[in-house]
Amino acid sequence: MTRLAAEGLAVELPTGWEGEIYLRTDESVPAAGTAGTAGTTTGAPGQVRPVLQLADFALPRTRGDFGGGAVELMGPRNIFVSLFEHGPESVGTALFATPGPPWPVKAGEFGPNRLQRPLPGQGGGQWFFHHHGRAFCLYVVIGSYALRALLARPLNHALGRIDIAPR
Amino acid sequence: MLVLVILEGVVLALLAVLVVGLLRSHAEILRRLHELGAGAYDDHGLETPRMRTQPGVAEPRSVATPAHDVAGTSPSGSAVAVSVVDRPHTTLLAFLSSGCLTCGNFWNAFAQGEGEHLPGLDTRLVIVTKGPEAESPSAVQNLARGPAQTVMSSQAWADYEVPVSPYFVLADGRTGRVVGEGSGTTWSQVRDLLEQACADAGLGTPRGRRRDRLDGPGRERLADEELRRAGITPGHPSLYGRSSPDDAPTGGSEAAS
Repeated sequence: MTRLAAEGLAVELPTGWEGEIYLRTDESVPAAGTAGTAGTTTGAPGQVRPVLQLADFALPRTRGDFGGGAVELMGPRNIFVSLFEHGPESVGTALFATPGPPWPVKAGEFGPNRLQRPLPGQGGGQWFFHHHGRAFCLYVVIGSYALRALLARPLNHALGRIDIAPR
Repeated sequence: MLVLVILEGVVLALLAVLVVGLLRSHAEILRRLHELGAGAYDDHGLETPRMRTQPGVAEPRSVATPAHDVAGTSPSGSAVAVSVVDRPHTTLLAFLSSGCLTCGNFWNAFAQGEGEHLPGLDTRLVIVTKGPEAESPSAVQNLARGPAQTVMSSQAWADYEVPVSPYFVLADGRTGRVVGEGSGTTWSQVRDLLEQACADAGLGTPRGRRRDRLDGPGRERLADEELRRAGITPGHPSLYGRSSPDDAPTGGSEAAS
């Protein structure tokens, strides 16, 4: 069992999954509410924020926080997960008011129009929540919206292995 | 008549001597061969002839190991895990170091994109160095300029029992086994070994494999991949002809990890 752990995030990777936990340090952190669709920033410039990405396919070395460069390589049965932490100033705001974590997620919560970069056949979902005083956005892409019920099971299996520690 | 009988007897005697001589000679040859370890009926005491490699090139180990996933850190310090086992493709693990001269050939080759389109089942190249306790992350980052994923993991070196760098391991994700391994001084040598290992394992070559396997969606994905390599991503103005760039769909301002 492969374990990834850094920045208060940890995950026991299911067999066949891979991932990365990296720090995002530039000043173009996307605004909350739109997964990577805005050029505005939230929080203090230069703030360091961890991003956890998981996938059951080979992740390319260069990719975006919300899967740009990776989701284009997905097959219909592949899954991509990005758990993006927002700054402490987001905790307590209405957008992150839902206590988390949000998993297990339901197949009905996915939509073909909830993708940061719409690609034919794919489906996406986005959940904002707070947990242990930390604000997160969970963004998931499934390779086939039509197979959302089938893909929800391995997705929730992987999500259930994520552990968020208090800061 | 008597003379003929005597002559025939002499000839038979000479032939008998000749046959005895041949038998003794044959016995001597067999004895010498036996001393050299080539006895036809021996089933013990045989030793495999020792393989020798060029100076500076690692010798392959005698026993293959099962494949393992690779976990460690990226040169930039991220925690990263690459899946090798239980995958539908093969993975070529390139165990390199930042210091060895021979490894420089491979760092340069991979930086120039030589690690793409490898033989096998959609073979993915992953460069593995020892961990930050044994390698300089900044030195590795300067060398790892290509598109291949680079993982710093001493545990992976231990898992695969890597004897020395450079060393290459080809793992079949479907079976979870190492199907080929070895070393070389140049990328062309290693690529030849890789093609041979793939052929021996029945993994085919890229040209034949792709033509035989890809269906419509597969070809579409391949085309998307090629476009992405060329820098043409969704929303790129070149995809929308002469229309105004304002017509293109908006995309996120994502940054590379």
